[in-house]
Parts: sequence; structure tokens; C-alpha cells
Amino acid sequence: SNSLTFCLLQFSLSFGIQDDHKLSASELEEKYGTSINKGLSSSRAAEILARDGPNSLTPPKATPEIVKFLKQMVGGFSILLWIGAVFSWISFGIQFAQGAESPFDNLYLGVVLALVVILTGIFAYYQEAKSTNIMASFSKMIPQQALVIRDAEKKELPAEQLVVGDIVEIKGGDRIPADIRLISAQGCKVDNSSLTGESEPQSRSCDFTHENPLETKNIAFYSTTCVEGTATGIVINTGDRTVIGRIASLASGVGNEKTPIAIEIEHFVYLVAGVAISIGVLFFIISVSMRYKILDSIIFLIGIIVANVPEGLLATVTVSLSLTAKRMAKKNCLVKNLEAVETLGSTSIICSDKTGTLTQNRMTVAHLWFDNQIYSADTSEDQTTQPFDQSSPSWTALSKIVTLCNRAEFRPGQENLPIMKRVVVGDASETALLKFAEVILGDVMSIRAQNKKVAEIPFNSTNKFQLSIHETDDPNDKRFLLVMKGAPERILERCSTIMINGKEEPLDSEKAEAFQTAYMELGGMGERVLGFCHLYLPENEFPDTYPFDTDSMNFPTSNLCFVGLLSMIDPPRSTVPDAVSKCRSAGIKVIMVTGDHPITAKAIAKSVGIISATSETVEDIAKRLNIPVEQVNRREATAAVVNGMELKDMSLQQLDDILCNHSEIVFARTSPQQKLIIVEGCQRQGAVVAVTGDGVNDSPALKKADIGIAMGIAGSDAAKNAADMVLLDDNFASIVTGVEEGRLIFDNLKKTIAYTLTKNIAELCPFLIYIIASIPMPIGTITILFIDLGTDIIPSVALAYEKAESDIMNRRPRNKKKDRLVNEQLAVYSYLQIGIIQSVGAFVTYFTVYAEQGFLPSTLLGVRVDWENNAINDFEDSYGQEWTKYQRMYLQWTGYTAFFVSITIQQVADLIIRKTRRNSIFQQGLFRNKVIWVGIFSQIGIALILSYGLGHVTALNFIPLRFQYWFVAVPFAILIWVYDEVRKLFIRRYPGSWWDKNMYY
Amino acid sequence: MATLNEKKTCSERMENFRRFVWNPETKLFMGRTLINWVWISLYYLAFYVVMTGLFALSIYSLMRTVNPYEPDYQDQLKSPGVTLRPDVYGDRGLQIYYNTSENKTWERLVTTLQTFLTAYTPAAQHLNVNCTGDKYFIQDTFDGPNNTKLSCKFTSDMLQNCSGIADPTFGFPEGKPCFIIKMNRIIKFYPGNGTAPRVDCTYVGDESRPLEVDYYPVNGTFNLHYFPYYGKKAQPTYSNPLVAVKFLNITRNVELKIVCKIIGAGITFDNVHDPYEGKVEFKLKIEN
Repeated sequence: SNSLTFCLLQFSLSFGIQDDHKLSASELEEKYGTSINKGLSSSRAAEILARDGPNSLTPPKATPEIVKFLKQMVGGFSILLWIGAVFSWISFGIQFAQGAESPFDNLYLGVVLALVVILTGIFAYYQEAKSTNIMASFSKMIPQQALVIRDAEKKELPAEQLVVGDIVEIKGGDRIPADIRLISAQGCKVDNSSLTGESEPQSRSCDFTHENPLETKNIAFYSTTCVEGTATGIVINTGDRTVIGRIASLASGVGNEKTPIAIEIEHFVYLVAGVAISIGVLFFIISVSMRYKILDSIIFLIGIIVANVPEGLLATVTVSLSLTAKRMAKKNCLVKNLEAVETLGSTSIICSDKTGTLTQNRMTVAHLWFDNQIYSADTSEDQTTQPFDQSSPSWTALSKIVTLCNRAEFRPGQENLPIMKRVVVGDASETALLKFAEVILGDVMSIRAQNKKVAEIPFNSTNKFQLSIHETDDPNDKRFLLVMKGAPERILERCSTIMINGKEEPLDSEKAEAFQTAYMELGGMGERVLGFCHLYLPENEFPDTYPFDTDSMNFPTSNLCFVGLLSMIDPPRSTVPDAVSKCRSAGIKVIMVTGDHPITAKAIAKSVGIISATSETVEDIAKRLNIPVEQVNRREATAAVVNGMELKDMSLQQLDDILCNHSEIVFARTSPQQKLIIVEGCQRQGAVVAVTGDGVNDSPALKKADIGIAMGIAGSDAAKNAADMVLLDDNFASIVTGVEEGRLIFDNLKKTIAYTLTKNIAELCPFLIYIIASIPMPIGTITILFIDLGTDIIPSVALAYEKAESDIMNRRPRNKKKDRLVNEQLAVYSYLQIGIIQSVGAFVTYFTVYAEQGFLPSTLLGVRVDWENNAINDFEDSYGQEWTKYQRMYLQWTGYTAFFVSITIQQVADLIIRKTRRNSIFQQGLFRNKVIWVGIFSQIGIALILSYGLGHVTALNFIPLRFQYWFVAVPFAILIWVYDEVRKLFIRRYPGSWWDKNMYY
Repeated sequence: MATLNEKKTCSERMENFRRFVWNPETKLFMGRTLINWVWISLYYLAFYVVMTGLFALSIYSLMRTVNPYEPDYQDQLKSPGVTLRPDVYGDRGLQIYYNTSENKTWERLVTTLQTFLTAYTPAAQHLNVNCTGDKYFIQDTFDGPNNTKLSCKFTSDMLQNCSGIADPTFGFPEGKPCFIIKMNRIIKFYPGNGTAPRVDCTYVGDESRPLEVDYYPVNGTFNLHYFPYYGKKAQPTYSNPLVAVKFLNITRNVELKIVCKIIGAGITFDNVHDPYEGKVEFKLKIEN
């Protein structure tokens, strides 16, 4: 399917351009009904605009808001609750028709259940909308302007209004406003990197140079940038019909699949719904066979469903994820899709760009060679000094050449900025040299002023050198200084001497050998090497009135004195090596995918640790053993550097082999399209793949990846649209902090779910015992909702703030097939152990309340029918007292409140034990997560308000409870805590044991 | 986002499930080896035995702490409920409808009364003592047999015309029916604050409209010597004092709403939620 995608891409791209690149200017004029000199008429342009629509990319089709909203209403547990609501209404209808005394209870219950679904739906919808809005605001841009000829006049128009046939003028710095066939160009160069990934600017002319419209020089593409020069052209495609538009629509064709966390949550919903439905149906059958009325059995069924469904949990999960998203945004990871937060945590392979992501995206002087010695320069982001030995007179000479033979200048008005942050006018290498000199020597501009330039030959590709002649700053020295820099071998050719410790020595073969060695070494590190030489022109031959002429070169350009080499590289970001080693210990494979040269790519890979110091590629082994590459045992090589050209000819099987057998891989000279193939290859290995990208052409790969990461600074809009996450600082290290957050939230969601599931048993047991033992109802359906959506909400969110138990980045990424969010151990431990303790504790409170009010436990058994009989108003208790129906109801509500309070109290213990899954609470620290305490206080506060504040609102069924009943369940709360500490102790003590396997969730 | 969920056919799902139940290669039964199942079952058995033990222990200590004679709290029993005999409940509370000319319609009402009064025959009351003082019968000591307290006798003949002795049909056929009002027992409840509480029946909502009622015993009072109640354990033979009301001028063929309140200090009848606290309301309709 990959090659198919490719063909499709190529086909659809070239189809749109047809053969405009082959036509002559007059043919084009005819075809588009325009005039190169006069342009379109405004009325004609308006017609075409009406026909073709504005020149802008249609944003990816968004799901209609109402559909998103309705999806929230039926997703997750909502269906189950809707069923509960409908049952409530049906039983209301039946009771109402039968003229029963209080049928409205069921009507209200139905309404409450429906409200719960609708409110949680609205909440989830709101959360999602909020996170989408962050992105929307992010992708908004300043409208682009274009210079157009219309009605024979030049006009500035918004680029949106361009139409096919418009004549536009572009100049250096402009973004190309549409697909344009050039009809005239002067030194025009475009940066096509967003389209092809090629970072070198490409020249553009009006000549037809290639059959393939993508390759020919006379077409400039929408959204690429004109780097220098000027050009005029005819607009041949606008909006979605441009090449970029087609790629973007192709990318949106790659379907959005479910995120790992969505799958986990679905799994969990199925599990809980399964339990709810099976217990519900089982007890429906039991209650029918126990001769309960069908209507009653249906009401029991509703109760069981409500007790089993953690109504607040999905909202809690959303909140936890968005909290993490917020935290990640602070660390420069902007998450578009909330669920992507966790996907990042389960990532097992990161395919990273090099330039800008792993590196600083600016050339920096890395090494120097003079006096026969290589010196290393500081390449960190915020260098203020350079530590290498600067005492040699050779360095003085070299520094002078570096300073003077350089046309780059700082933009004025930046004196207060750190040198590294100042904006420079000039190309990348000159900028590097300027900053390097500025750091070491201080004010370069004044040094240049003191050494007045008298002549200059700028760099060009035939000479491969740059030369300038200066007066010296020594008033006693009237000689001119000729300085030259350029490709080292070309520079060396022009030298007859070499400077060693400030003295000129003849350049013999031994010294030339030393130069070669140094040059190879620096080049081998993937660095761009420049040679520097100078010559003091003899005063007698070149007096200060000498007319230097750069065209005839009336000055010596050979027999110069070689001074030294400087090598430059786009250095890795200083945080990256650490981040890569973190990935390594976290079991995440980092693959570099770059358009750069293999040597540079490998050098950077080595310096950031993607290729570790000890590992070798097949080529390295061949070189070391001095054998042909074919004879090397490929299994011995842990690293691999794959060239894009090789990749082109590889079968999928071969690619899989490489991905499988090498732990350290660099793909160099790859096109963005090949990125897609690499991503698919990784996914075939079952990996969760994160991919970074910035160009438009990266968008299919970004979409295809499990998590696509777009660059915030360098990234194109299309890439940001296709991505799930935007890296605001373009820094690889930010991805790693994102991974950490993602893993943490997975762990914490486990804790949240375990916490939430536990009390479901304590809510469910009352129904079961009520049905079987016919005791007065221990807890009401509405009361359960107050736990699920009241007291429990803040504590379960608080668990999202829990710190990691151990170094989360020291374990392998979770296996998405085996490490489930809700596994058997979690469900069983929560349901069948802690949940049971909670139920026992709550029932003890229940029996205590009833006993102290007059109904001893023995009296309560089997009492249900009479208890609920409206016609019995002298119901006798254990002491012979007689109760009216209302007095019994009031006692029943007291029981509800007591049961509720007991669950709340025990949930406090549950909350504390859920802080850790393995460590003791004392290791984790009780007070490190302050939010937990907010949770505990809120929980108790809400319970107090419900009992004492709202205890007189009859509909809520809460009663001001006697104070001592708050403490009945405390021993059980302590038991829960002690039991869990013991569980954790054994897990720590006996790893791998039966206990560990069965009790660790 | 990439594909993570594989589509499975139904037969694959079945096969997977079958493998889950019994996997012959790994010898796993529902994901565990048999010995593992034994261990886990034993663990849960032990766990639940301990939990049951804890529950039993809790209930045992609860039983040890509660007072066998009277409950610790009477939070819900501030004022006694009142009940009516015969008690026929319809959709909206007590509804006593009968037709004087159709014996069947009132015979079961009469039977209810007769059955109810069997507890008040002299034979049934022979263990209780005759009380005469019109004061609370306060007993600080256990003077009765088997370490109990004494209870006062209440026999049906105290209801005179409504006792069912002279008129076994309780006036139903004549359209002047007797109803028996009973006040619920509450331990150590002293109604009336020294004055005997009495029953007062009126039409609901129209208290000025005269309702001719004969009350038995005289004035419709509950004699104070039946109070306080000391509980089932202390007074096993206690029986509630009763007041019978005989309605004398019931309009025929009209549904009448009547309320009988108990008037006395400490007895409230204005609880909006509880229609039976301190009063009993009923609908009466006599046809002929």
C-alpha cells in the first residue's frame, strides 16, 4: 500500500500542473486569458474568483458540533444510564396507570439519570472544545499579501483573492502566494523544504528544465518561500488545487484511528458494563424467581446498574488528561487531542527530525585547527566565553582573518541581547564566524572599522574562496593585510607557507600531511570545514595609494601563508543527549530521519547518543577489520545509517530487517515521503510511533504515526494540522518530558479507576442483600449518585497530581496488548477485596444505626414487605415500640446517610492507599501531593453539607446524622489501609512471587 | 493516529474464548493453571472467612453495647403514630366504604374489629393488673413476675357500646359504626404532661361542622396509668389502651373525610410529611 500511496501522490501532484511548465509565455497568456504586462481585468478576476473560490486551503472537514455533542451523550456508560432512565419512566408509567401512591419517585429518578448523562456529556464536550480551541487560536495567522498586476496596475491584494491567470511579482523573503509558472526571474531562489524536505535553496528561472513539473525550475509552489532575488509569474493553481493543497487533502484522507487510551477506556467501559449487566440480569432473574413483582425487579435492576456504573469516572478521566495536557503545554508540548497525552507515554519509537529538533538549527564553530593541533570550541546555546587556549600568536592571526574576511553584520540595536540571540545579516557560516569572533574578541564591528577594508572579492562557487584586503590597525605598520577563507583544499593550494606558533614555516609535505589528517578528521565529524590564510603585502610594492582592482586581481592570490582551519556544525541542543539517554533507559528507540548528508547525520547521532559511543555500523566494522562490507556479520552491528537512496530500492522485508535488527538507526538523505514508509515499517513491528515533522510533505507521516508531533516554530500549518501535538520550542527534550507525563498519567489513571471502582461494590452490595435478605433498603439510588458525582469527584481528580512512584523513565514502554489500563488484578483487588471490606464497614454502620434506634439486626431480616407497606403504621420494633410508615422511612434515610457517610470515610482510606501501587505510603509521603488533601477535605466537607446542610430537604433523602455514626466505619478504614500496606510490603519483598502476580495491579 | 484495533471475525472470537477457557498448550484454565486456581480460591476463602468473622465480631459487640430494655435513641419517635381499626387502605390512605344493605361489605370490617379485640378479652389480659389511679404508672423496680414490670389491664368492655359485646356488629348495619383508635407505643413516653390525652374527631378542613361522636371510654381519654411504656422485655404483657369512636350522624352516600386527633401535651399532629403522627385521617362512605 505504500508504493500505491506514493504513486497516488505523484500522480495527483503532477496532474494538477499539467504541462504549464512546457508552454511559452504567449501560450500561457492565451491559455489563461491574461496579459503579462497588464494582468487580468478586475472584473475578469472577480469572475474567476467566483468560479474557483478563494485562494486558501480548506481546513480539514470538522465533525459538526452537534454530532460531537451527541456522541458525548451516547458514549461510554451513557447508554447504560439511558436504559436505567427509560426503565424508571416505564415503571413510573405502569405505577401511574395503576394509581399507586408515590409513583413520582421513579419519574424523578429517570430525570436525574438523564440529567447525569446530559451534564457529563456537556462537560466532556466542553473539555474537548476547550482543547480544540487552543489549537484553533494557535493556527490563526496574519493574512498574507501579494503584489499583483491587475488592470495594468500593481496592487497589493490579500493572497486569498488571487485567481488563476493573475500576474504576481515576488521578491526575496516573500511566501509564494500560489502555484506560479515563472515568466521572468532575476537570481531567484526558493526554499522548498516544506515541500520536498530539501533544505538547500533552489534557484528558479523561467526555463523549462524537467519533464516532471515537480522538478522543473520554472514553477514555484504555494507556501514555499522565496529566499532571494525577484521573479514574476502567472498563477496557475490556487487554493486546494495547488500542490500543497493536494498533499494536505491527501493527508486528511489518512484516517484517524483510536488512540491507545481510547482503546483502554473502551475496554474498561466494556468490563464494567459487562459486570453491571450480568449482575443486573442475574439479580433480575433471582428477584423474579423469589416472587418479587416484575416492576420491583425492574427497579432493583435500575439500582444495580446505577450502583455499578461509575458515573463520574469518564469526566474525571477527561479532567485528568486535560490537567496533564496543561502541564505539558507549560513544558512546550501543546496537545491537540487530549488522548494523545497518554499515547506519548506508550510511545516505543520516536522518529525524530534532525535539524532544529535535535540540533540548534544554526551553524556554530565547533573545532579549530592551528599550530598542528585541533581545539574544540564550546557549542552550547548560551556560550559567553571560549575556553580553548588562545595564547598562541597563530590564534591572533587566525582571529584577525575570521573577523575581517567576513561580510556578515549584526542588525543594529541589539547591543543588550546576548550574542547568541542577536540577529545577523549574512549566511549561516559567516554568521557562525561572526558570533564566534564576537564572543572571543568583543566588538567585531569596531575591529573591522580599525582595519579599513580596501578591496573585497565575495565568495562564489567557481573560486570557492572569499578574499578581502585591509589596512592594519597598527599605525606603524603601513602594509596591507590580505585575508582569505574558503574550501580548505583550495586555500591550501594557494599557500606556500604555514604558520606555526606565529612563525611562518615552509609548507612541506609533512605539514601538508598534517593538514590533510586534520581536514579529514574534522570532515569526518560531519562538520563544514573552512581554511584561512593571509598575506601581508609588502609596503614597497603596495603603497597606501595602490589601486586594488578585484576584477583584474592586481595583487597576489598565491604563495599565501596558511593559518588554520575552522569547522562548523549545526550543534546538538545541549538538552538533547540527556533526553536521548533518558529515552534509552525508558526503552524508547530513537530513530533519526533527516534529509542531511549521512556523515553529518551520523556525527550528530553520535554526539547526541542516538548512536552510542561503543556501537558500530556495518561500515565501521568493515573498516576496522579491513574487510569488504559484504563479509561483515550484520548481526554484530547494532547501529545502522541508511541512505535514502538505499531505502528507495529496499523491499518492505529488508526495511523490517533493519528496523528489527539494529537498535540505533539513522536515516539520512531521506525525503519526507520516505518518512511515511519508515513510520509504517515501525508500526509493523507493533510499536507505538511518535514522529516529528515540520514540512507540508510530512503531514501524511504525521497522520500515520500514532502520535504526530509538529514543530511550533519551524512547522508549517499543514504539519500542525496533521499532528496530534505541537512542540512549541521545537526541542526534542520536550518530547521526553511529554513521554514522562504521558506515562505518569497512565499510572495515575489506573489509580483513579481503582479508587472509583472500589466503592461500586459498597454501593452494589446493599441492593443484593436487600433483595436476598429482605432488609430495609440500606442506600438509595440518589444517594449513590451523590457519591459518584459528589464526594468522589475531586479525590479521583487529585490522584492525577500524584508523583511517580519510582523512576518512570527507567522502565520499558507499556505493551499495548498486555499492560492494560484496567487489568484483572486491579478489578479483582478493587471489587473483591477492598470493595468487600468497605461493604462490611458500611453494613456495620447500617446495623448500628438501626439497632440503636430500636431495630436489632435479627428483627431486620425478612422485614422488607411489611417495612415498605404503606398500610402498616404501627410497625413493631425490637423493643415493642410502634412506628408509622413515615417514621420508618425517616429511619431508612438515616440509614442511607449512615451508609453514605461510611463509604465516604472508607473512601478516604481508599484514596490514601491508591496513592501508590507498590511503595509504602511513607515512602511516597503523605503530604507531597497537596491536592489529595484538598480531595479528602472536599469529600468530608461535601458529606457534612449533605448531611447537616441539606438534611432537611426531603427529596434528597439525607438526614442530619448523629455525630458518632461518622466513626463506626473508621476501624474498617484503618483496616483497608493496613491491609494495603501489607499487600505492598509483600509485593516489594517478594517480587515475582505468587503474591506479586496476583496482587499487583 | 494509527490502526491499533484489529478486526476479528466471530469464529476467531469464539476460538479465542475457547482457548481462554482451556488452553491445552499452556494448560491454563481461564488464564490460570489449576493449582493456581486452588491457591487463589484458598486465599479468597480465607479472606472471606476473616471478613465474615470481623463482621460477626462487630455485630456481637454491637449487641453487647445496646440496652436490652430500651433503645439508645428515639430520634424518629418524638410523637406517637395513631392507627385506626378497621384499617382498609386504598390508593390514598384509609378508606372505609360499605353498604348497610350488603352484609358482605361490612362483615369483614366487623371481623377485623372482633379479631383485633381478641387481645383485649379478660382471658388475654389476665396477667395484667387492675389500675385505678389517674396518674402515670411509674415503676422504677421490676415488681412483676420473672423480673418484669407490671402492665395495666385494658379490656374490651371498657369500650362499652363499641366493645362488641352488646352489639357484635359494632353499629355498622345501622350506619353508626364504631372505630377503634390506637396510639402507638413509645418507650418512656409520657403523653399529656399529667393530663390524660383524648381523642377528638372532626371533619377534615371544616372543624366547625358538627360531627356527632360518642367516645368510649368517657371523653375519649387514654388513662395516664397506661403510661409510660417500659418496652417489650420489661412489660411483655403490655397492651395499648384504646379509644373507640362511634359516629352517630353520618350522611349516607357521601364520601366524608374525617380526622381523629389525639389532643395532649407532647403529641404533635402537624407534621406535614407524616399523615399518621398524632392523628389518623380516613375517608368514610356509607351507602344504602
